[in-house]
Amino acid sequence: MLKNYFKIAVRNLIRHKVFSTINILGLAIGMASAMLILLWIQNEVSYDQFHEKKDRIYNAWNRASFSGELQCWGTTPKVLARTMEKDFPEVEQATRVNWPSSDLFSVGDKRLTVSGNIVDSNFLQIFTFPLIKGDPKSVLHDMHSIVLTETLAEKLFGNEDPMGKIIRLDNEDNFTVTGILKDLPNNTRFKFEYLLPWSYLRSAGGDDTNWGNNSTSTYVLLKPNASLSSINDKMKVLKPRYDKEESKWEMFLYPISRWRLYSSFENGIEDNNGRIQFVRLFGIIAAFILLIACINFMNLSTARSEKRAKEVGIRKVVGAQKSSLIGQFIGESILMAFLAAVIAVVIVVLILPAFNQLIGEKVTVAYGDLNVWLAVFGFIIITGLLAGSYPAFFLSSFQPVAVLKGTFRKGNALVTPRKVLVVLQFTFAIVLIICTMIVKQQIDFAKDRQTGYNKNNLVYHFLTGDIGKNFELIRTELKSSGIATSITKTSSPLTESWSDGWGQEWEGKDPNDKTDFFRYSQEGGLGVTAGLQFVNGRDFDLKQFPTDSTAMIINETALKVMKFKDPIGKIVKDNGVDWHIVGVIKDFILTSPYEPTRPMLITGAKSEWFNLMLIKLNNQHSTGDNLKKAEAIFKKYNPEYPFEYKFVDEEYAKKFEAENRIGVLAGVFAGLTIFISCLGLFGLATYMAENRIKEIGVRKVLGASVSGITALLSKDFLKLVVISFVLAAPVAWWAMDNWLQDYSYRVQIQWWVFVLAGMLSILIAVITVSYQAIKAATANPVKSLRSE
Amino acid sequence: MIKITDLEKIYRTEDIETVALNKLSFEVKEGEFVAIMGPSGCGKSTLLNILGLLDDPDGGSFVFNNEEIAHYSESKRAQIRKRNIGFVFQSFNLIDELTVFENVELPLIYLNMKASERKEKVEEVLKKMQVMHRRNHYPQQLSGGQQQRVAVARAVVNNPKLILADEPTGNLDSSNGNEVMQLLTDLNEQGTTIIMVTHSEHDARYSHRIIRLLDGQMVLENSLI
Repeated sequence: MLKNYFKIAVRNLIRHKVFSTINILGLAIGMASAMLILLWIQNEVSYDQFHEKKDRIYNAWNRASFSGELQCWGTTPKVLARTMEKDFPEVEQATRVNWPSSDLFSVGDKRLTVSGNIVDSNFLQIFTFPLIKGDPKSVLHDMHSIVLTETLAEKLFGNEDPMGKIIRLDNEDNFTVTGILKDLPNNTRFKFEYLLPWSYLRSAGGDDTNWGNNSTSTYVLLKPNASLSSINDKMKVLKPRYDKEESKWEMFLYPISRWRLYSSFENGIEDNNGRIQFVRLFGIIAAFILLIACINFMNLSTARSEKRAKEVGIRKVVGAQKSSLIGQFIGESILMAFLAAVIAVVIVVLILPAFNQLIGEKVTVAYGDLNVWLAVFGFIIITGLLAGSYPAFFLSSFQPVAVLKGTFRKGNALVTPRKVLVVLQFTFAIVLIICTMIVKQQIDFAKDRQTGYNKNNLVYHFLTGDIGKNFELIRTELKSSGIATSITKTSSPLTESWSDGWGQEWEGKDPNDKTDFFRYSQEGGLGVTAGLQFVNGRDFDLKQFPTDSTAMIINETALKVMKFKDPIGKIVKDNGVDWHIVGVIKDFILTSPYEPTRPMLITGAKSEWFNLMLIKLNNQHSTGDNLKKAEAIFKKYNPEYPFEYKFVDEEYAKKFEAENRIGVLAGVFAGLTIFISCLGLFGLATYMAENRIKEIGVRKVLGASVSGITALLSKDFLKLVVISFVLAAPVAWWAMDNWLQDYSYRVQIQWWVFVLAGMLSILIAVITVSYQAIKAATANPVKSLRSE
Repeated sequence: MIKITDLEKIYRTEDIETVALNKLSFEVKEGEFVAIMGPSGCGKSTLLNILGLLDDPDGGSFVFNNEEIAHYSESKRAQIRKRNIGFVFQSFNLIDELTVFENVELPLIYLNMKASERKEKVEEVLKKMQVMHRRNHYPQQLSGGQQQRVAVARAVVNNPKLILADEPTGNLDSSNGNEVMQLLTDLNEQGTTIIMVTHSEHDARYSHRIIRLLDGQMVLENSLI
């Protein structure tokens, strides 16, 4: 019997090529979209889930109140790890991971800038990063030991055995390779290429026991069966025990299972606003796209029911029961789903690289994993059942008498499941169109916001190697050769905040004020280099005013906080220095373009905290020429290090990446949804034209015009799109209003976006339906009437 | 074999109620060849559909093989139908996507017969109906007469006790029509009971008895033997 079903299914596919193509293509696109999203979701939920001890690994977090709000963050004092091992019997081990840093690796003539971490020697005993060579218990014991990833070892030593080889770091210290790690998987929060032991940091004076210095990540491995709630109770009072000034400062352990998706807090409580919201959102989108593709299948299958009705009648006459017919039709839909899945897998393989680029991840398919293929098989069965169930019940319920005597006709009921399904499809598509437009508006809105400085021709270079030592020489040569017009040493890029803090003192300050200020340092000339606008006072000028080493520039928001009527000359105490204000600048965007600017303090040379040079390139020459010449100068004064500059405008553009991705993804899925829905609409229009052929013939004989008939046939579909719009508009408004709440600086939702989306949908529907409508309207009525 | 008593069938729409069968009663004995005649709309096809267990009566009794089946469920009716009844339609009603062989094989599939056994039976009946040479052709590739032979082959392949024919020659020319009628006569002579709805007096003369209907009632019964 199965063979018979298979034969008829295949022959039907071949005979009705247009319907088969629409059905399979729609289903394939839907399945491919859903597969891609599911792959991404799978990648997201798998983050750091490969560690063998994952159920016992936690990250230590702080919870403390600032400006009346509880804030949570995951950098802790360096002293915490050893304290926890000492004070808490539940802790098996604790390890510290310092900020990632980029270092120059030298092996013979080879020079590479590599990113890695300094960690406690037990790091590899807690986390599962397998070693190809070396013992996890001892690889980081020696102060000058280093562990490399497989790829880095190959880059540095080629095919030679790297174990025991010497690497020079930053032209300062030599390290011996004691272990080789398998390359890190993509789905981990750690991104290091090498590991150095904490003992090296200690020897370099980088360790401390200061409970106020929250500068490192602390990871804790609890003993089996240790109670998290009991240890968290103790963590609450840990900091006040050692740091008498912070009586309300709490700490807590945060489990590995929640790091990737849930680590977003509002007023001290996990707010469900982390990446999990995107996982949920795109999970819903995947389900809807697949559902829409399945709806197409249902609609086209039921629309073609008259073609299959005779077969159903005959099968019933010769003894088929309803259940066997249901089985036959579900089998057919599973066959279609299988064919669609084959195409979908090909689509996924082809567009996965582009998809990865779009989402900024490295999602992969484990082709050798049986579970992947079982999942694909399950996907086919679920899709087949979802798509085939309604048509199967619909078709198998035909009365053989009616279909075999030719009296079978499906009427145009006011509300049919098919119409409901079309409305569902278009509602979803219109929601996505509106969302795409509003996301785009929000991005444009933020992009159009004045940054407060001039990004053009502005580049920066970190003070690597000898640059700090030769800074004046480099600056002089860059200026004298006409490459740059202005150069300033600063603490951090203009697009990032590397330091912030509270506790500054100034005249008239409210003792309860715990305002957090951005800190930034420059040694003079930032106003000219970056094009900052001074509303009061001046920039630092050490040559003219030697006391400017302790000068301070504040932004307008800081001025509002400090409430100075005449700020120039006022003293602000910070980090033990009395800074005198010499200027007030207009606010500029240091961090998020979606947030209001925060108060900012720019301190002078006394801060002794400079990490990069900001260079305003001369616009009289091409950027390419300027950079080529600049490279020669950097090579001359800093020969060991590569010339690695960054454009400020490119770094600023990265602030829009997340939103751009959401916008592009929403746009892509909106387009796909519309396309799949239109495939379905086209199929339905074809069916409608066939079904109403007699009516069209009679109307034409009675004098109806082609345009009148076209309008008549299109009207029913347009009604459905209008209903979809009415349903979609409030849903889209609600979703976007919620989304925009995350941004302080946000666009107002405009009514015309909805009108435009509605008109766009109607236009697309008209174009889709009109081909079949016009074809039906221009057909010769004699033929259709004779066929009756 | 068949005994119907006061059989009723009423079609209802929102506005109209049409009585298709009005307390109709008659009996058909095993081995009989009965023709049912009457003008369009007299209830012939309705009667045939009820006799073929494709439709439910609204009232009365229908005894088939000494079993009252008037109100059997669809699945029970399907069970009886596939083992006992073969159908021949005016418009052949072959499945376009299946070959001649596969169309004839279909009833045997639903009887869960083994493939080798099915092949033997189908080939036997195709030879008998003289369409063996067309076994791999699709219905559209056959003439009307050939299609009706295939339809008859399908109707008899599982050796039903009863064949119901609904205007079996309606779409055929006289030569092909006569051939089909001869096939039915031969089957009847081999013991199969046949009930045939027809407009044709010529075809009706092949039967043993003619039942004439009007407005859902029997108005005349002629015995031809």
